[in-house]
Amino acid sequence: MNNSSAARGWQKVFGFTFIQFVKSKSFIVSSVIIGVIVILLVGGLNIIPKLTGAGDIITGSGDTSVDMQFRTLYLADEAGILTDEDTAALANYGLHFTASDKTTDKLIEETSSADEGQAVILISADEDDGTISGYSVKVYYSPDTDSASIDAAAGFVSEMVKYRNVINSGVSPENYEASQRYVNTSKIEAGAGEWSVFETMINYIVPMVVSLILFILIFAYGQTVAQSIATEKTSRVMELLLTSVRPLAVVIGKVLAMGLISLLQFLMICILGVVSFAATAPFGIGGDIMKMMDNPALQTGQNADIAQALTSSFGTLSPLTFILIFVIFILGFLFFALIAALVGASVSRMEDLAQAMQPYSLLGVLGFYLAYFPVMTTMNSLESGAASISGMQMFSYFFPISSPFALPSALLLGTLSLPQVLIAVLILAAFDVLVAVIVARVYEMIILHNGSRLKLGEIIKMAGKK
Amino acid sequence: MSLKVENIVKTYGNYKAVDGLSFEMNEPGVFALLGTNGAGKTTSIRIILGMLSADSGSVTWHGKPFCTANESIGYLAEERGLYPKYKIMDQLLYFASLKGMRRQDAQKSIDYWFERLGIEEHRDKRAEQLSKGNQQKVQLIAALAPNPELLILDEPLSGLDPVNAELFKSVIRDEIKRNKFVIMSSHQMATIEEFCRDIVILNKGKTVLQGNLNEIKKGYGRVKLTVKCEGDITAMSQECGLTATEETPNGSSYNVKSEEQAHALLNKIIESGIPLIKYELREPSLNEIFIEKAGGKNE
Repeated sequence: MNNSSAARGWQKVFGFTFIQFVKSKSFIVSSVIIGVIVILLVGGLNIIPKLTGAGDIITGSGDTSVDMQFRTLYLADEAGILTDEDTAALANYGLHFTASDKTTDKLIEETSSADEGQAVILISADEDDGTISGYSVKVYYSPDTDSASIDAAAGFVSEMVKYRNVINSGVSPENYEASQRYVNTSKIEAGAGEWSVFETMINYIVPMVVSLILFILIFAYGQTVAQSIATEKTSRVMELLLTSVRPLAVVIGKVLAMGLISLLQFLMICILGVVSFAATAPFGIGGDIMKMMDNPALQTGQNADIAQALTSSFGTLSPLTFILIFVIFILGFLFFALIAALVGASVSRMEDLAQAMQPYSLLGVLGFYLAYFPVMTTMNSLESGAASISGMQMFSYFFPISSPFALPSALLLGTLSLPQVLIAVLILAAFDVLVAVIVARVYEMIILHNGSRLKLGEIIKMAGKK
Repeated sequence: MSLKVENIVKTYGNYKAVDGLSFEMNEPGVFALLGTNGAGKTTSIRIILGMLSADSGSVTWHGKPFCTANESIGYLAEERGLYPKYKIMDQLLYFASLKGMRRQDAQKSIDYWFERLGIEEHRDKRAEQLSKGNQQKVQLIAALAPNPELLILDEPLSGLDPVNAELFKSVIRDEIKRNKFVIMSSHQMATIEEFCRDIVILNKGKTVLQGNLNEIKKGYGRVKLTVKCEGDITAMSQECGLTATEETPNGSSYNVKSEEQAHALLNKIIESGIPLIKYELREPSLNEIFIEKAGGKNE
């Protein structure tokens, strides 16, 4: 019997599996939970940075003041370092000091019993043999005072003390500013490209998130295939099915149904992510970034780096990118689901399934870490700025166990050239065919096997027989 | 000639699960496939159904190689199986669609069988909500709904109460009237005797007895004697060369070599004047034949 007649009837298995799974409470509940998480996560990531002021900096619309939650704030400059000009500058940051004739100790004592929102900032000089060796900034605050305000106040005053200390040493404000310029150290292999900090972050975050989502969808639904087939086998429904269709039709129908469900859930995540992003854009940093990208006038300083990073990282996106990601998803799912189907068919009792799934789980986790681990090492590039891809990362793109999790982010970020991607896809497809041939060969033999769980070696031996 | 099973052999490692099984069903009726547990019945059924491929031998249906996907077969497996979480109606429509039935036809047929088996109220329930007996009825519907020409029933009555067993029997009788080919496997020999014309008894994969049940019994002759008297007839039976195989309140049972041997005992009893309550000389029952052929040799 050839494979096409052996697969006859798979469409009916596909239809039934798909409808029953989509109708199941567990799927509906898990989809709702995933949807809510995606909406909250994307919305939160969009809105929260804006609330902290990051978005204002991007659009250039914000001021530098902080919403300080102080009702009464005293400054006790016992070191006598700050000038009126300095306290005026601190007022711009929301630190409005109340004048008082009381001693510092008295102020601190009153503060200890005051309501929330009162604080005393004490600046003292640390002396060593009559020479100032440093300064201390201490914030004494009343109970329940806003901790963020306390931290911010301490930070601003400390910076101001540092500034004034340098100026008092005879350095002009211009020279002080010049001395604050950062020095970025990079170690770059000659010939390799260079990434800005933002590019490095994008090249770290995107693969991490994408590979994690793909791992969950591909691996989890592969497990569902195994569970579904094991349930049919152990509940003896399989015997009834096999009076109408061949085992290959069952496995094809089931794998494709689960693949479609997995794909739909993947699309749901993407769509809800986009919808959540769009809905929260007016209030979120995403909207600020979009405004900045649309307005070249805003692309100055740090914004120029962000704009450049976004353009260089996602500038290569095209419909082909998404088609290839779709293809890789399907191929990756088939690879893992076919193996899972074999595992599911190898058990005669449901309680054996967890143990039988161990090699499959190891394979999945290995693939995920091969895709994810090299990305983590990219973190080093945050310091170095080298846009190079490690050997292991390159390996993960072409190795069929890891490529389904690694390739999509490489496509999104344009890390690989199109010929490289096509080669990786072909390798994955070739391994899919290999796994499918093995499954077609041994599935019929093992699906009706009852008794002790089949070992991997026994399955491989079966595959070797005609 | 409709169903022909020819010399099928199936080996697992060094163990021959089926060793040269052959039989034919030339006309509609019920054929019994008998054997103790592990005798090879289920393997044989799976080979006939095309679920398993035989190492050698062939199965033909109307003269052509048997192909599961093409033939109209109803199968009630020994170990029942339904999707526990899915609705009964959904499952039955799915099984019918796999048999190639159009949805409307399947719905009509399933409705008929729901009513016939008295479980209309369960159509929208999940399988796990049904009793074992009702699950068995659902499985029978799955087998019968496509109106198959060949019906394979593996232990159809096991686990059923007497009322439902009688209901199943009436369904089987109806199917026989509708000229169905039925292969039945059961350990309930009375049921087999009630329905089957031809039998095969397997023991450790080998066919140990095969043929028309009536002819097999005739071949044995009337060799089972049961006598019940109001006095002790042990000495008389020993004089006739008979030793009781079983003593029950219904009398003493003997295996006789010939009818003459039985008649000799009867004459002695009459001559002795001991009141005779029961004297029965009969062919062996299928149960007795089965135990003789498969019993002692089994593991």
